Amino acid sequence: MTRTTLAALALAAVLLPAAAVAHSGATGVVKERMALMKEMGDGMKRLSAMLHGEAPYDAAAVRKEAEAIAAHGGEAMLKGFPPGSLDHPTEALPVIWSEPERFRALAEEVTRHAEALAAAADHPDAGKAMAGHPHTPDMDAAMGNPSMHAMMGGAPSMHQMMGGDASAAPAPTAATPQAAFMQLTHTCGACHDTYRAKTH
Amino acid sequence: MRRSAFAVVALAALAAGAASAAAAEFPDGDARRGAYLARLAGCIGCHTDAAAGGAPLAGGAAIETRFGTFRPPNITQHAEDGIGGWSIADFAQAVRQGLAPDGSPYYPAFPYPSYAAFSDQDIADLYAAFRTVPAAAGGRQGNDLSFPWSVRQGLHLWRALHLDAAPPPQDPARSEAWNRGAWIVEGPGHCGACHTPRGLLGGQDAEDALTGSSDGPGGGPGGGKVPAITAAALAEKGWTADSLATALQTGLGRSGDAFGGGMGEVVRHSTAWLTPADRAAVAAYLLEP
Repeated sequence: MTRTTLAALALAAVLLPAAAVAHSGATGVVKERMALMKEMGDGMKRLSAMLHGEAPYDAAAVRKEAEAIAAHGGEAMLKGFPPGSLDHPTEALPVIWSEPERFRALAEEVTRHAEALAAAADHPDAGKAMAGHPHTPDMDAAMGNPSMHAMMGGAPSMHQMMGGDASAAPAPTAATPQAAFMQLTHTCGACHDTYRAKTH
Repeated sequence: MRRSAFAVVALAALAAGAASAAAAEFPDGDARRGAYLARLAGCIGCHTDAAAGGAPLAGGAAIETRFGTFRPPNITQHAEDGIGGWSIADFAQAVRQGLAPDGSPYYPAFPYPSYAAFSDQDIADLYAAFRTVPAAAGGRQGNDLSFPWSVRQGLHLWRALHLDAAPPPQDPARSEAWNRGAWIVEGPGHCGACHTPRGLLGGQDAEDALTGSSDGPGGGPGGGKVPAITAAALAEKGWTADSLATALQTGLGRSGDAFGGGMGEVVRHSTAWLTPADRAAVAAYLLEP
């Protein structure tokens, strides 16, 4: 790559939103799935604003956004990843197709957690700041041994969040939409950790 | 009693005395506080193969690096496969000095230089927490490193050249939150383990702290890009104290994109478990140069 091209790209990367740069040149199924992911991300951004007090909380809007994300998970998502679809500029990694069960389980978890979020939209504690991870009691609260087990890695929800055995996973125990949202964001991250290249 | 038996008993008594003397150097441990420290230090994330449904702390998924493959070992209470036979002194030496009970050095893929910041109370608490972890077998495959990294004795040289266990900065003129954040980021949170670049031998320079690296876990075989998290870099991307603290809980960046490349795991298994005050402290430290 010439220095001029490199400089131009560097300038573009600074001036354009990261997504626009990442997606430019995409065609076919790669383009479609990047667009799907971008839509999901935009929805997550709007949800985050409402759930963390940066925008007024609107249960109907939360439900609508969550349902849209739920529709993008599962089969809709898997459709976007036919075997070998590794054309530039995809950030998908080949390991997707060597771990199909886990990839599927995570795609299905997106839908499950998004649906839980939609169902929790009217919770009375919606919009209030979360004290911490749903399975971590506040440090000052007196809790018994089960929380020690969870703290030291034994929480069933962690196993579930990683798609380790999604078929036997209990329903999300999240009560508030904030908790459901966190389980959803963690599912997104679980997939991105393993199946998306960190190239920028 | 026969003389040889007497000698054995006497030696055993001496050894027990020595062990309890070592244990007496540490205060009583609080297991719940230790569990929180374990979350903060990232033990569960690395030493558990969650994706494969592995038992907690029974050994982590392989970490591919340019030095070869590291496999975080079993640190459950299993007597053979884990650390069930370890005294608190063994535990302290491993965590803070990166030395096994037999004195052999660990690879700094285990971020023990960052754990040198743990106090004796922290170690006592961590030890108590680890004593509650159910024994599980396995997780002893060991590393698969390329030459010359495979020569463990070379680590003595590496330690002489590169070991920097400087304590985290503490400044009474700064806020409590900043100081707490400094202790977390430069200490057990070991952010620099990924976010600071490594030289040829895997050493790090203080001047390059948190400027990012291309040795990250999230790039497939070529290594992934780890972003800079210096105050300047964060400000340039528009991060605020609130958005950064929230991101450490949700793993969601400001555009709504979820962190991957290994940071998702950090959020999921470590920072999401911290108190909101601790996440705010990390944000305060990172954003104030």
